[in-house]
Amino acid sequence: MLKPEINELITRTGPRTAMGELFRRYWIPALLAEELPENDCPPVRLKLLGERLIAIRDSAGQYGLIDEFCAHRGVSLWFGRNEDGGLRCAYHGWKYDVTGQCVDVPSEPEDSVFCSKVKLTGYPLVKIGDVLWTYMGDPSEQPPPPEFEWVHVPSDQTYTSKRWQESNWLQALEGGIDSSHVSWLHSGGLKDDPLFKGAKGNQYNLNDMKPYFEVADADGGLYIGARRNAEEGHYYWRITPWVMPSFTMVPPRGDHPVHGHFWVPIDDENCWVFTFDYHPTRALTDDELQAMKDGYGVHNKYVPGTYRPLQNKDNDYMMDRDAQKRGETFSGVWGIAMQDASLQESMGPVVDRTKERLVSTDTGIIKARLKLRKAAEELRDHDATPPGVDPAHQRVRSAAVVLPEDQAFIDACQDDLVVTPGSKHASV
Amino acid sequence: MQSRQPILLNSCARAASAEELRYRIDGPEPEARAARVIALDPGAEEVLEGLQGHPWRSAHFLAYRPGNPVITGNGGLPDVTLEPLRGAGALRLSEELEGADMVVMVATASIGADAAAAIGEACYRRGIMTGGVVFGDEIDIGEAVLALRPQAQVLLVTQDHDDLPEILTALRA
Repeated sequence: MLKPEINELITRTGPRTAMGELFRRYWIPALLAEELPENDCPPVRLKLLGERLIAIRDSAGQYGLIDEFCAHRGVSLWFGRNEDGGLRCAYHGWKYDVTGQCVDVPSEPEDSVFCSKVKLTGYPLVKIGDVLWTYMGDPSEQPPPPEFEWVHVPSDQTYTSKRWQESNWLQALEGGIDSSHVSWLHSGGLKDDPLFKGAKGNQYNLNDMKPYFEVADADGGLYIGARRNAEEGHYYWRITPWVMPSFTMVPPRGDHPVHGHFWVPIDDENCWVFTFDYHPTRALTDDELQAMKDGYGVHNKYVPGTYRPLQNKDNDYMMDRDAQKRGETFSGVWGIAMQDASLQESMGPVVDRTKERLVSTDTGIIKARLKLRKAAEELRDHDATPPGVDPAHQRVRSAAVVLPEDQAFIDACQDDLVVTPGSKHASV
Repeated sequence: MQSRQPILLNSCARAASAEELRYRIDGPEPEARAARVIALDPGAEEVLEGLQGHPWRSAHFLAYRPGNPVITGNGGLPDVTLEPLRGAGALRLSEELEGADMVVMVATASIGADAAAAIGEACYRRGIMTGGVVFGDEIDIGEAVLALRPQAQVLLVTQDHDDLPEILTALRA
């Protein structure tokens, strides 16, 4: 249960909101690199943190993210021509470079310097891994580029997809922190999904439906450990890291690639879910890659030509009551990603947290909300750099391990929970 | 027989719109959770004393004092003597658990594993949810974590004293 004003504070991310200012201290995923595939390719319209933007890749391969609308008459630059080092408005030919600087106003005299005085808001856009990242905050506070492992392994070891989710970012993120729903909602996937099946850890999952939880503070966010009974005197631990503001990793299974998410607000009622799989030490196999593209694991199928999930609220997520009855899926919705999204969208665009009835297994969510609120208030009131900005906080891994009963995961897995390039992830 | 397709907005998943949110039943405020919050060491008792000024709805704050023996009570259930904060006067765990639906054990230092185990088992056998909060640096609180881990369905290890009131508030204690 949250007070209405706190729910407002931690869900709203538009300009000049406390949480919006917090997000503007981080590099966040803006697009997949495939969306701007070549120099002078068509621009892409997008909205991030409640701001309408245009992403471009110019003739020299430089990326930029600028205000969508021309400074002249407010026309959308999406209709523009991307050519000769900039994006030219289709209406009167004003031209902008990747920083948003106007470089040509054709109606002005040849020697006019007028265009030098016209600049659209622009944000840096950089390609790291398969993702184009942006930083939308004060340039003087721009942190070093992100160091999440999934975008730094060789390209044949990683795959990223994205999907539109029709809900506020926070209820989507909370699904990534909430390990207690996995034994129910996703129970069908452990047996059949090609990206999960076969791992020894799956049996521990299926044999113990009432996990215990342990939540531990981390410099950049939290670690949430879910423990289940394993062999005599041992527990099976699945450890999920959350790095502020909105990065989570799912604990791995066997030698399967490890996956996770970055939840990015589009506006207050929509978010992008960037979903990745990678293996720290080997290339993804053709079968794994195909399974990811086919929507298995934590990925999804698409409405062709879009990033909208094929199963969406307009078709009741292709609910299959027969599959639900047969026990193939718990909710009747196919696929981990859409099982989560269907339920999170059903809460409404921004869930009313004043009505909820939390239980103690929601402690990870309660703690995460508190950390977000405190970080937003500390930034607003004292200009304090929030957790998760430091690249060291981003070098985290999830883990799935079997430990003796008397060992704390946070001690026993210290090395497993941080990135050691070239080493395998800890997985059962 | 082919199932009927929804024909109204409110009979399909599209009803998750902001507009449709207006039609959700505005039920009464959920009832308070009957929470018992038990300090397991003097440091934890200090933490709980700091919370007593909050407008709790039904939380009882109690202390286990080291040395209080674990006994076998009615029905073979373990029982211990608890005490009110800042005071003396015996309260039986078994009586405090009547009507309780949540117990949060709080520790800041090494604690008696016997007491934690007794409280944990007494709750388990009555079907009462248990949580544990351990305050302090990981290095100093290892024993407390070890003692509480088997007894608390959720264990939070933290240095932030705002966590406990936040959890109790979120759980409507």
